[in-house]
Amino acid sequence: MGWAWLFLLLATYPWLLGADLASDTLASSSLIFFVSGTCLVAPCRRLKRWQAVLFAAGIGFLFEARRPIPDGALALSLVAIAIFLSSNRQLIRNTPGMLRAAAIVNVGTCLIWFLASSYGSPSPATDLAGQLIFQLLLAVVAGTLGLIPIALTQNAVLDRLNVPPAPDTP
Amino acid sequence: MDPNRQGARASYVALLIFVALWILVPSAVRRFNREAFVEFQAPALHLLGKSRELATFWEKKSRSVEEMAAAGRDLARINAALEIQIHKFEDIRRENVRLREITRYNVPAEYMSVVARVATRDSSSWWQRIVIRKGRNDGIRPGAPVVFGNTVVGRVTAVHLTTSEVDLVTSPGFRCTAYLEGDDQNHIVLVNGVASNSLGTAKARVSVIPRDYFMPAGQPARVFTTGMGGVFPSRLMLGYLDGGTYATQVGNFKESLLMPSRDLYNLQEVSVLVPLHQNPGEALMQGDQFQ
Repeated sequence: MGWAWLFLLLATYPWLLGADLASDTLASSSLIFFVSGTCLVAPCRRLKRWQAVLFAAGIGFLFEARRPIPDGALALSLVAIAIFLSSNRQLIRNTPGMLRAAAIVNVGTCLIWFLASSYGSPSPATDLAGQLIFQLLLAVVAGTLGLIPIALTQNAVLDRLNVPPAPDTP
Repeated sequence: MDPNRQGARASYVALLIFVALWILVPSAVRRFNREAFVEFQAPALHLLGKSRELATFWEKKSRSVEEMAAAGRDLARINAALEIQIHKFEDIRRENVRLREITRYNVPAEYMSVVARVATRDSSSWWQRIVIRKGRNDGIRPGAPVVFGNTVVGRVTAVHLTTSEVDLVTSPGFRCTAYLEGDDQNHIVLVNGVASNSLGTAKARVSVIPRDYFMPAGQPARVFTTGMGGVFPSRLMLGYLDGGTYATQVGNFKESLLMPSRDLYNLQEVSVLVPLHQNPGEALMQGDQFQ
């Protein structure tokens, strides 16, 4: 189904909104509850490459929309990761592989937006290593713990849309 | 070659071409794209804010009648006291206007106050923002100051149809001039947000403090807006000087940190002071760089 990526994006949006809500409660500690990278893993097993690309771009632009991140920095990085994951499906064919991918992708994309924001920031900063480590640790935890419920939701939607299941031997 | 690998290679090439086009494309296209994604999320943010209000409503509804009656009585007393204050301020305003007319003093910018509920807060090392549930449809314009009582909360950085983004005082993008309490010569100091590097409360930096300035003993020095630049009205409170002042590397001035006078992340409602007449600086703020 050609529009599967869009329906999947709509179905994933409540999780992104939930992450925004969690970021709201963490606001006083200047940390963001980031799960955009995790949302990408399960769909890359089942969607076609072009669909995964559009889905990744949508996820990225949704995160960037209300934040001072250089336009497209995160979205285009997520697109590159979507191309990689959908071309190497054997890496995410089982649950441990998916968990590993979720942690790596979430941390990687978190680092990308952090660096992109620092590049676009109007004022310099020193001694941010501690804050960056906290942010990356949170991204690992959120990415790993969030994968199972997010993937379950996404798979349920993909089943309803009659998207074929991920092959065991890609 | 394996068709999968070939397809992946073609996709990477297509992505590189798209990245090049994305960089070269007019900024209006990128702005339109960003705006489209913001507007897509706006109804969800409204829903989020309204569900919070509903939760508060049910929490208040569960209170006893006696408790509500006591709260109502207290409010009535406060209202009576405030009404007297309003009359007093109205007299002062009239006298102020008369004296300004006599001396032909430039009338300061006038503002329309738009009260807005906070939809969500978002904070990282590189930005400290709140999203409010009022936007272009309600007359809010970029650059408008945002206050709570007589305390500066921040400044509107981006305005959408029904929501607006507000950079808080502690956000790295925030800058304004200020006076310090206890400085009889009214030297102008600069306040700008700094990238947050701890899990503690975000703070702003106060720079260009004269070397001969000493904080009033026994109390933290308050920092007020100057009213210069036409963005913020004068004598609004920005916060307190946190701890002592310290000499900069250059040594001609001192610096200190500014502690916001309110917990900016617990605000439920703020007022946006929209200038009645657009000032020249606003036009500049509406450019691409003001994101």
